[in-house]
Amino acid sequence: MSAYEVVHLDELERFPVDEEGLMWRPVRRRLGIKAFGCNAYTAEQAGDRVVEEHLEQGGHEELYFVAAGHATFTLGDEEVDAPAGTFVFAAPGTKRGAHATEPGTTILALGAKPGVPHEISKWEAIFAAFGHLRSGDEAAGRKELDAALAEHPQEWQGWFNAACFEAQTGNREQALAHLRHAIELDPKAKEWAAKDEDFDSLRDDPEFPA
Amino acid sequence: MSAESRAAHISDFEIGTHEGRRWAQIRATFGISAFGVNAWTADEPDQIVINEHSEDDGHEELYFVVSGHAVFTINGDEVDAPAGTFVFVRDPAAKRKSVAKEAGTTVLAVGGTRGKAHEPDDWERDAHVLRHWATKDWDGAIAELSELHAERPDSARILYNLACAESLAGKREDALGHLRQSIQLEGKLAELAANDSDLDAIRDDPEFSAIAGQTDTPSPSS
Repeated sequence: MSAYEVVHLDELERFPVDEEGLMWRPVRRRLGIKAFGCNAYTAEQAGDRVVEEHLEQGGHEELYFVAAGHATFTLGDEEVDAPAGTFVFAAPGTKRGAHATEPGTTILALGAKPGVPHEISKWEAIFAAFGHLRSGDEAAGRKELDAALAEHPQEWQGWFNAACFEAQTGNREQALAHLRHAIELDPKAKEWAAKDEDFDSLRDDPEFPA
Repeated sequence: MSAESRAAHISDFEIGTHEGRRWAQIRATFGISAFGVNAWTADEPDQIVINEHSEDDGHEELYFVVSGHAVFTINGDEVDAPAGTFVFVRDPAAKRKSVAKEAGTTVLAVGGTRGKAHEPDDWERDAHVLRHWATKDWDGAIAELSELHAERPDSARILYNLACAESLAGKREDALGHLRQSIQLEGKLAELAANDSDLDAIRDDPEFSAIAGQTDTPSPSS
């Protein structure tokens, strides 16, 4: 392995994450960072989402940095105006999210859990898989998923997401098989399946675990 | 200390350092404990943004050029880094530095150790004292460094900075004593001492040569 890696923001991949315009630009994955999490998010249009609204239930401290453009954050009950150059620190229990107020807004997100060695977030592979799918590259998405399942075969979330992926791509049998496996690993997968619209097309199937 | 969620602009927490750079103490200001994060700004072209160093504590380090244009040198390789460039130095032992190519070059530095819980760096606290260099408040620097030294008598860096402040304040004997102790604790500080203009006031002292050794490199003022 080389001693260092260099990449420009413009060269990072773009994975569409949701319907609100959120675009994930993997930094940690691209550079092979192991000690902390680092990702960039870009909103191409004003009004697009640039940080998902979420809590860090895994206990990560998160630092966001507005690298370009201009965003509005929600941080707990507060609204924070965040022009380029703003740092926003969010403790794990604080609900946070952001929208771009200018086109081409890019935010860096840095995160890790205090007091423990850093573990690479498992969602990265899932984001990549669905990002490829949204960009029309089903094969690349499936490759990401397969790698994630091989790496963490005991995690129900991986199988659950694989089931969603297969449901979205119309592979009914495979979707049901993955979902059954997820539920075997953890029964709460069943509750999640009940409210996930990815499975709407499968709900009438007698095999659907309801 | 449990850190609270909040926002701040980079300009809100910048302080001057004695090399003329500005330093934003991001980790310490927010109370982040899971990774290290600081930003450095050079106001002039050709100014150093990141001092030449290796990460002796084993950190992987990610640099992001926020604005301006920097040139990194890593193990002798030159890396052109315009705004928006990420430079990830995986190997803690790699020698790296960064120099501004444009005025107003800011580099964000993020660090942590693979496979280990993050521990905030000692150097951050020592470096906070360096704000006194900008105002030439040597008495203030000596008072603060003496306190830090009492807390951590084995820190070579604190002793070294204390010696520098004492040299600048004209306290020759104190400076020589603390410099000696610092080099006894960490031999490679002798190299730094050989070229550090903060120590010019005591460089002609025979004891200085005995402590820091003879070097081929003349001091900037000689």
